[in-house]
Amino acid sequence: MSISRRTLLRNTAALGAFAGAGLPHIWIKNADLAYAAGGEIKVGVLFSLTGTTAIIEESLNKATLLAIEEINAAGGIKGSKIVPIVEDPASDPATFSEKARKLVVGDKCVSVFGSYTSASRKAVLPVFERQNNLYWYPTLYEGRECSKNVIYTGAVPNQQQDEFVPWLVKKFGKKFYLIGSNYIYPKEENNYCKKLLEKLGGEVVAEEYVPLGHSEFSSVINKIRSTQPNVIFSTVVGDSVVALHRQYKAAGLDPEKMPMASLTTSENEVAAMGGEAAAGHFTSAPYFMVHKSPENEKFVEAYKKRWGADKVTHFVSEACYFQTYLFKQAVEKLATSDLTPPNIRDAVKGQEVTAPQGKVRIEPENLHTWLWPKIAQAKSNGQFEILVEAKDWLKPVPYAAYPGQSCTEKGLVEKS
Amino acid sequence: MPSNASNSSGLQRLIAQLAPLLIVSALVFALPVLLNNDFLLNKVARYLVLGILTISLGLSWGFGGILNLGQAMSFGLGSYAMAMALKLKTVPVHTGASGLPDFMVWNNVQHLPWFWEPFRSLSFAIAAGLIVPALVAAALGWFMFRGRVTGVYVSIITLATMVVINLVIIDQQSYTGGFNGITDLAQLELFGVAFDAYGRATYYLVAGCVLLSLLVAFAFTKSRAGLIVQAIRDHESRVRYFGYDVALYQIFVFALSAAIAGLAGMLYTVVMEFASPTFLGVQLSLSVVVWCAVGGRQSLVGAFLGAVLVAGMQGALSESAAFLETWTLVMGALFVLVVLFLPKGLAGLAQSTWRWVAQRRQAAGGAVARGVSQTEGST
Repeated sequence: MSISRRTLLRNTAALGAFAGAGLPHIWIKNADLAYAAGGEIKVGVLFSLTGTTAIIEESLNKATLLAIEEINAAGGIKGSKIVPIVEDPASDPATFSEKARKLVVGDKCVSVFGSYTSASRKAVLPVFERQNNLYWYPTLYEGRECSKNVIYTGAVPNQQQDEFVPWLVKKFGKKFYLIGSNYIYPKEENNYCKKLLEKLGGEVVAEEYVPLGHSEFSSVINKIRSTQPNVIFSTVVGDSVVALHRQYKAAGLDPEKMPMASLTTSENEVAAMGGEAAAGHFTSAPYFMVHKSPENEKFVEAYKKRWGADKVTHFVSEACYFQTYLFKQAVEKLATSDLTPPNIRDAVKGQEVTAPQGKVRIEPENLHTWLWPKIAQAKSNGQFEILVEAKDWLKPVPYAAYPGQSCTEKGLVEKS
Repeated sequence: MPSNASNSSGLQRLIAQLAPLLIVSALVFALPVLLNNDFLLNKVARYLVLGILTISLGLSWGFGGILNLGQAMSFGLGSYAMAMALKLKTVPVHTGASGLPDFMVWNNVQHLPWFWEPFRSLSFAIAAGLIVPALVAAALGWFMFRGRVTGVYVSIITLATMVVINLVIIDQQSYTGGFNGITDLAQLELFGVAFDAYGRATYYLVAGCVLLSLLVAFAFTKSRAGLIVQAIRDHESRVRYFGYDVALYQIFVFALSAAIAGLAGMLYTVVMEFASPTFLGVQLSLSVVVWCAVGGRQSLVGAFLGAVLVAGMQGALSESAAFLETWTLVMGALFVLVVLFLPKGLAGLAQSTWRWVAQRRQAAGGAVARGVSQTEGST
C-alpha cells in the first residue's frame, strides 16, 4: 500500500483518537479509599443498557436510580450522598463479570445493585464471594441459592406458587400443561409446581421446554388442543412470552376456559405484546402497577415524572426501588467507620421497609425477602386487575422443593 | 563467500521479523512492574487471553486463507474442559467425596456421567482442552477440505457447527449447566502454585502463554508446511498441480489454530472463574474476526494487539460516563474507519509508516550523495 503524506496524517489522526479514547482508564490509580470518603457512598448499578435483555434491564436501572435520587434529595444517608456508578454489562455474562470486578475492586463500591438473568448472577457471584462484597438481586428466580454475599429481593417459587396453584386448581381444574423456556428457572418452578399438584391430586398432561427466544408455537398450540388442559402453566421468558400470547389468540383459544397462568408476564411483557393478546390470562407476583397503596402511588407517579408518562412499573422494578431503601436503612444503622459490605449484610438482616407492594422484610436466615403474593388478571388496557391478595406476608423458602435442605445463617444445611 | 552472506542476511531478516513479537512479549511481561495494580492486571489478563484467541484466528485466516467464523467453538471447548476439572475439585468440599456438581443435583442426575469421570485429573483436562478442539477441527476440516469446500462456504459451515454445539450445551443442562454455564469453580493449582484470578501468578501464566502461542504460530509460518499453507492461500490449484496434498495442509493449520484457541479458552476459565455458553457464541466469534481485521490479519502480533487494543478500548469507552449510552456507536464508527482507511489493519499501518520513514531517509541520503558528487564535479 503506497501512502501519501496526507493519508498518513489522516490515518494517524484516526489512530490518535482511537488510542486517546482508551487512555484515561489506564491511568486511573487505585487509591485505597475508605468505603465512605468525603461524604460519598459509592454503589454500583449493573443492569444491561445494550444487548438482548436491555429493554427490561433498563427499567431496573431507572428504578434504582430513581430511589437513589430520592434518597439524596432527602438529604442522603446521615449527610452522605449515595453516588451511583452505572456500568453497562451488555447482556453478556463475561462482561457482567468484568464490570462487577471494576465496581468492587476498582471503584470500591460498598454494594452493587444488578442482574436480571440467573446466568448473569451466576457469572458475578465468584467476584462478590471472593471479595466479600454485597450484591442486591431484584429478580424473581428459581431459589436453591444460599450465598452470604447476595440479598435477594425477588420472589422464590414458594412465594409465587403456594397460593396460585391451589387457586388455579379450584377455579379451572386439575389438568395442567407446563410450558417453559429451556433453562434452570422454568425447570425448578415446574419441579415445585408438580409437588404442589401431587398434593392437590392434580395432573400434568405435558411438560415442554422451548429454546430461549423461541417464537414458533404452532406445534405447542396443537398439542394444547389435543390434550385439553384446564390451565397452561407458563414459565416462558422474554420475547417468547409475546409470541406465545399472540399465537394463542390467533389460534382462537379462549382464556376463560383454558387460561395461561404465568410467573413471568409483567406489565412490561404486556406492553410489548399489546393488551388484547394478554387480556384474560393470569399472573402471580408480589407487585402489580395497579396495586393500591400510598407508597405505590408515590412510586408510580415519581417514576413517570422522572422517566416518562408512558413508562410502566412492574414486579422487578419495584424490587429495585425498595431494595435501595433497604440499603439506606442498613447503612443508617452503621457508624461511618464500620461501613463495609459484610457489616451492611449483617445490618440488613431483619430490616423492614414499607414497599409499594406492602411491608417487606429481609429474612435473617437466608437473606431472601418476605413478600406479599398476589394473583392478577391481565386486561386489554395493558394493566392487571388484582383478584387475590395474600392476607399475610410470606416467608421466602429458597429450598422449598427440596425437603431436608434449608438455607441458614451457617450456609446450606441438610437434614437426613 | 556468497552463501555465507545470504545466510547472514537471512538471519537478519528473521531477527527483524521476530523483533515485534519479542518487543510485544517483553512489554506484556514488564507490565506488572509499570502497573502496580492487581485489579487492572486481572483486567489486562482477560484482554491478553482474547489476544491469544485472535492469534489463533490470524493463523488460519491470515496465513491459511480459511476464514473460520466459528473460532469461538474451539475456545469454548477449551473453556469447558478446564471448568469441568475445576468444578469437580469443588465437589468434595460442597457435597462430599461421592457427590456431584451442584447443577447435576438440581437436574436430578444420579451418577457422574462417563465423560465427566476423566476430568477428575487436571492433566487430562489440560490435554483435553488442547486435543479435543484440535480433533473436532480436524474432523470438520477433513469433511470440508477433502470435499474441496472453499471460501464463504467454509465460513458458513464453521459458524453453523459452532451454533449447533452451543445449542447442544444449552439444551443438555443436566450435563453442562445449560444456559448458566459451569459456575462456582475451584482455583487452578499447578506445580504447587495456586492461580488466583486476581493474583500475579495468573497474569504471568497468561503472559507466558501469549509468548508461547506467538512463537509456535511464528515457527509454523516459517516452516516448510507453513510456507505451503500460505501458497495454498494465494493459489490453491497451482499448489495442487505441484502434487501437494492441499487438504492435509489445510486440516493441519485448521487444527493447530483450534488447539491455540483451546489454550486461550482454558485460560479464560481461570481468569473469569466460570464457563458459559456465550464463550462459544456468535457474538464473541464475530468480534474475534473484527479484532483480527483491525489488528491486521497477516501479522500475528498485529492480530494480538488488535484484540488487546479494541477489547481494552471497548471496556474503557463503556466505563466512561460520557460514552455510556453511545459506546457501541463509537466502536462501530471506529471499525468503519479502520476498514475504509486501513485495509491491512494496524499492522499494515505500522509497516507502511516504517517503509515511508525508510524511503525518506534513503531519499535524503541520496540527495546528500548527489550534492557531494556535484561539488566534486565542479572542483
